[in-house]
Formats: sequence, C-alpha cells, structure tokens
Amino acid sequence: MADLSVKICGVEFKNPVIAASGTFGFGREFDEVYDISAIGGISTKGLTNESRLGNPVPRIAEGHGVILNAVGLQNPGVEHFIKYDLDFLKSKNIVIIANVAGNTLEDYGKICKKLDGLVDMVELNISCPNVHAGGMALGIKPKNIEEVTELAKSNLKKTPLMVKLSPNVESISTNAKAAESGGADCVSLVNTFMGMVIDLEKRKPIIANNTGGVSGAGIKPMALRMVYEAAHAVKIPVVGMGGIMSGKDALEFICAGAKAVQVGTANFADALAMPRIIKEMNDWLDKHNIKNVNEIVDTLKLN
Amino acid sequence: MKELISTVKEVKQIADNTYSLTVTLPESAGEIKGGQFLNIATGDGSRLLKRPFGIVKADGNDITVCFQLKGDGTVALSEAKAGDKLAVLLPLGNGFIIPENAKNVVIIGGGVGIFPLVPVICGNKDKKFYSYIGFRNKNCACLLDEFKKSEKLTVVTDDGSLGEKNNAVNAYFNDINNVPADLIIACGPPVMLKALKNKMKENNVKTPCLVSLEERMGCGIGACLVCVCKKSDGGNARVCKDGPVFDINEVEL
Repeated sequence: MADLSVKICGVEFKNPVIAASGTFGFGREFDEVYDISAIGGISTKGLTNESRLGNPVPRIAEGHGVILNAVGLQNPGVEHFIKYDLDFLKSKNIVIIANVAGNTLEDYGKICKKLDGLVDMVELNISCPNVHAGGMALGIKPKNIEEVTELAKSNLKKTPLMVKLSPNVESISTNAKAAESGGADCVSLVNTFMGMVIDLEKRKPIIANNTGGVSGAGIKPMALRMVYEAAHAVKIPVVGMGGIMSGKDALEFICAGAKAVQVGTANFADALAMPRIIKEMNDWLDKHNIKNVNEIVDTLKLN
Repeated sequence: MKELISTVKEVKQIADNTYSLTVTLPESAGEIKGGQFLNIATGDGSRLLKRPFGIVKADGNDITVCFQLKGDGTVALSEAKAGDKLAVLLPLGNGFIIPENAKNVVIIGGGVGIFPLVPVICGNKDKKFYSYIGFRNKNCACLLDEFKKSEKLTVVTDDGSLGEKNNAVNAYFNDINNVPADLIIACGPPVMLKALKNKMKENNVKTPCLVSLEERMGCGIGACLVCVCKKSDGGNARVCKDGPVFDINEVEL
C-alpha cells in the first residue's frame, strides 16, 4: 500500500482524488452507490449567492470520447448549502471545497465571506462557459482574474483559496500567474472547453444553450499540456483535471506537475470511478515500488 | 442502487427499429419497482454516457430493457452479442407507486413509452388494468402479450394498420365512461402527455394521474442536474431522481 496522502495549502487529503464540481452534487447521491468517505475530497456544485434554476433542457450531449454540458449553474444558493448540505459532507470526513460562482464581481466577495471558516477550501469558478453573466467573462483576461482573486482572498481570512482556470484563453501560464499575483493559494485546471454538438437531421445544436462545456477522456491531452504549463509558471500548487478516467491518467497529471487531481465526467461513465481510480493509482505505485504518491509530482522528463 | 458489470444474455428484434436486450447481473440489485430504470453502457469506451432505459422485466438477476434505434449507442446495443460485458447502474428513479385502494388502473402508453408500463401490469396482479396503447403502425407494435394481461386492451395506430386509426389518449377518452378508473398511469412522447393533461382539464377528469418522463441524462442518480423538468410551482425537478414518475399536476408538460 503506497501512501496516497497529500497536503495542499495546509489542507490534508487522504488521497489526491477530488470529485470535480458539477458532477457530484453535494455528495449525497453518490453516497447511495458507495461510501464517499473513500475519496480525497469534493468540489461542490457551483454555489451562487441566490439560488439558480439554470438553463433549459437538453443540457447534455455526447461526442467521441467527450460529453458537453450546459447546466447553467443550477444550485440552491450558498446559504441553503451551508444550512442543509455542509453537515452531511462533514460527516464523510473528506476535504470540502466549496465551488463559488458569482453573477457579478461583488457576488464573489459576498459568497466567500459567507463560506469563510466553514469549509476546507474555496474554489473560485471564474471559468464556467455556460452562464452569460460573470462566469467565464471574469476568467479570460489576466487583469480580471487578478481582480476577482484579490476580492475573494480579502473575504477569506481562514479558508485557503483555489482558483479554477478556463482553458478557453490565450495563455494559461499568464492566467495562472494572474491568479497567483491576486493571492490565490493554489489553482485548479482545466475547466471545460467551449464546444458544440449538432443534430444534422434537425440542423440544430443538441444542447438548448447551443454551446456547452466539453469534458471527458478526449480533452486529456490538452488538459495535460495546460497543467504542465501552469505548474511550471507558478509557485503555488496546481490541481489537475480534464478527462481523467483511470489511475494512470491521474498519475500522468501528477507527473506533469499537479499535486492532486479532480475527476468529473468519469463519474457518469462509471459511478464507481473514483474509488477505482484510487485503487488503480495505488496498484501502479506498488508495482513500481513507489511508497509515496508525492514522489511522482513534477517528475516529467521532457524530450 | 448498484454499479455492476452485467453479461448480455440475449438481444432480439421485437418490432421495426425496436429491440429487447436481456442482461444477467452478477448479483441481485435489490427490489426493482415498475417504472424504475437502469443506465447501461453501450460497450464502447468512446461513448462516455450510459443510456437510460425503463426496466421491462426483472426475473431474478436477468434484467430486460427494450429500446428503439435512435443513434450510435442504441445501434451498438442492438448488435451486442451474448456474453458481452456491459456496465449497468440500477435500479434508478422512483417508479410507479400504486396506492392500495386504487383497484382499477387505466394505462395509457404511446410508442416506446409502453416499455416501463409492462412491469406495472405484470407486477400488480391484484389490480385491474384497462390499457390503451398506441403505435405508429402495426410493424412498430410489440409486447402485446404482456398488455393482454389487462382486463381490457385497446390497441390503436397512427395509420390504422392495427386497431383503430387513433392515438392512445383519444382512445381512452372515447371509452372513458365504460371503464372504472381509480388511477391513470401514462408514458409516451411529450406531445402525448401534454395532450393527456389538456384532455383531462377540458373534460374535468379528476382521476389521479401518474406520468413517466424522459430527458437526456448524465449521471442518472440526481447529482449532475442535467435532466430537469419544470415543476408547476416554478422550480425544477430532476427527472432521474425525483422522477421519472410524477403526478401529472406537479409538472409542466
């Protein structure tokens, strides 16, 4: 048994496998399939200041090796989360990362203030491609990233801040640095790529929103490249994600420089994906006689 | 609910573009109620989403679903061979809950919407069922033997090639004064369910009515909020977790 525990910004994870925001709700549903205390942590469904109903349906489509979604941040609001979902997650003894999504810049400050000290980490969602206000608009230009990060940070006195970066940008390194200079304690990437799936018979996009965020196995090479670049652009820790379906996939991200990973779409293909990935990581490390997963971090040797 | 690796037992064509697929589970998935569904992988890792299908029959660890060819996923399932391994997640959703005192149940089904109605008829032998089912034409008709277990069965088609030229909703309303109804259970395309809701309103029919809805799904267990429908109170409900069965007055159709 290899030691899978990792420490990021002072927060201890029993293993480096975190449920990605939007794919895992607040954990209750997957807990009906298996005891989610097996996973390292959860990034919650994106929380806004007020509840949101999200986009019209259909909200999902499939492409080769990928899916697209445009849920549009349906959520019960941050206060509802604190009142009704937080205690359940605390009882599972996993790292709780509250994913925060504002409609406006000011929202980010307000939501962070409400969560400060109540959760283990806050993940700033400035990269959602499916809402028209806020969301990705704040996550593309380095200046905006720095500004929203500073505002969030100033409202988080006790809770470390992770900034989730969009891949739909000019330079991921520049944006990672912008988050770092705004005071982020770590960054996570990548969020989904903007995409479209078309029903040729109807000559219409399948998703009601027309475009959606592309995720799943097919985005892994792009995500790995971006995680590698971000990890080598900043000094703060990087959490990698994008198409992780197996333990080997997760270890590739860690090898590229990530300290931990998030798993999203794989949970749809296999409801037991996360415990399986944790086991596969352990098996690979054992097979290679590596005692501690941290030994893999940033060990990629470029040609 | 369990995520399991099932083994394909049998695939057979039961009507035009329509197949039944029976898989064997490695262990029991627990009690399965009529109207519940499963999520099944399509056997190719490049298709990440499982497909949701109403469970037609649960016989020990053998589970049967039926489906119409719609896209690459259903085509692949129709070509599955005995012995193939397919991941399944089940049982999902709430199913049809028939109150003890509802003795006479009207069944209205259209097209592939008839599939989740089969276990309702086959699994509630103490109830009397009055079934109205509609197909596009006689070549699309299937599972009639199961529906013949009803006290009364009316089959209609859009083109009149089998039974009357009619739809299932109108067939019931033509017959409404001849059958007792403590409960109506319906499943079919959105246009059919909307017509049912409108007809019930126009004719002031107060019989409790349960409908099973369909929507493109992600996780199938209520976590991803992809498959929502609008509730009459303005909020959203998750078709996979809060449904797929809803009181007809509870949802916007």
